[in-house]
Amino acid sequence: MNKNWSLSQEDFDELLDWLDSDREQAGIKYEQIRSSLIKIFTGRGCLDAEELADETINRVTRKIKDIKGEFRGDPALYFFGVAKMLLLEYMRRKPPQSPPPPPDAGRAELEYRCLERCIERLSEEDRALLLREYGAKGRTQAERRKALADELGISLNALRIRVYRIRVALKECIEKCIQGSL
Amino acid sequence: MREFLLGTLDTDHTTQFEERILTEPGVYEELLVVEEELIDQYVAGDLSALERQQFESHFLITAERQKNLRFGKLLQRYAHSHINLTEEPAIPAQSFSLPQTRTRRWAWVGIFAAILGCAGIIFVRGLVNKREAAGVVQQTIPRVVTITLLPGSAGTESSNAWRVIVSPQGAEVKLELELKNATFRNYKSELFRENKSLKVSDKLRIEAKGEQHVVPFTVTGEMLSPGDYKVKLSGVLDSGADEFIDNYSFRVIE
Repeated sequence: MNKNWSLSQEDFDELLDWLDSDREQAGIKYEQIRSSLIKIFTGRGCLDAEELADETINRVTRKIKDIKGEFRGDPALYFFGVAKMLLLEYMRRKPPQSPPPPPDAGRAELEYRCLERCIERLSEEDRALLLREYGAKGRTQAERRKALADELGISLNALRIRVYRIRVALKECIEKCIQGSL
Repeated sequence: MREFLLGTLDTDHTTQFEERILTEPGVYEELLVVEEELIDQYVAGDLSALERQQFESHFLITAERQKNLRFGKLLQRYAHSHINLTEEPAIPAQSFSLPQTRTRRWAWVGIFAAILGCAGIIFVRGLVNKREAAGVVQQTIPRVVTITLLPGSAGTESSNAWRVIVSPQGAEVKLELELKNATFRNYKSELFRENKSLKVSDKLRIEAKGEQHVVPFTVTGEMLSPGDYKVKLSGVLDSGADEFIDNYSFRVIE
């Protein structure tokens, strides 16, 4: 990987312009592509998926002037092509890497205290839903969810999305709590 | 999506699915949801033994996912300490009228009492039998977690040679050390935790596992508290001397 090259504002602007003529939409698309690339590299067993996603974007940006003139189609597909090439290089190199260090016990307790505080901030309905989702024993997740969805009179998919959103909100809250801003 | 996350999807389907992650925002969103659900299923013990192994060896490689796993465990801990755990759906009440005459009424009461008595005896016997059976199982068949480790010589650990294991407390752990070549009759292993020797096992024999050969040895889950571990594998020569073969590294997380 060429790490000497750095992203200039001009190149980056051109990249965003290629993604969408509307600057705000371009920003959203950029983030979507980056997040998706991270998932792809993680799915292939790469520990440094974020670094590889950024390198993919850098490589595309480096050639943006040529690409804009030549490539027709969804820009995401161009990123995908570059990502596949990068993945091949990565697999050939097989860089030495160790998994991330385990967290210390003190951190786990802090996280639990923060979780308690964050759950208290949820609406009563969301809190009850969470307790039913994670507290019930003796049934699988699928069985629990089906019973819950029936009880609430909503579709299974609506329940899945609702649980997911509560989880995301809780995680954000815990992060803030740990950083001491809650 | 589960196969993609567990690393068991074949190459062609993986490539097709990756393209969809990039080009269809709905697929990416769904992937996020399935990822969280997979973690919940792991925490709740809903995954099969094979899926658990794939989850630990493939899914759990990044710090972000390990963090999400900790979050899932915290949620379960919180929920279990804040809820009455038995939630059976309420059975709707059925209405019926008792017989009108006094004699018949007593006859029905007698019949009900007899039925209840029999049901009670059957229930209690069933409960006792179940508990006895559970006791026997617990005494004779401890839970065994099998973990296959790939060789990765010191200083050249590749991502494939590393394993991350969730602390297997209360279980026996069968570590299977995969061999590049099966050249010895007997093997010797030494388990280290951060360079401190924990256990030496000798007179170990090769076992065939599919097309591979492994050297298995067992440790207790209690021995594997969170931390970094290394297994040093040696072949035992006919003279009795050891010949170093390879190191196997893994990490145990909470």
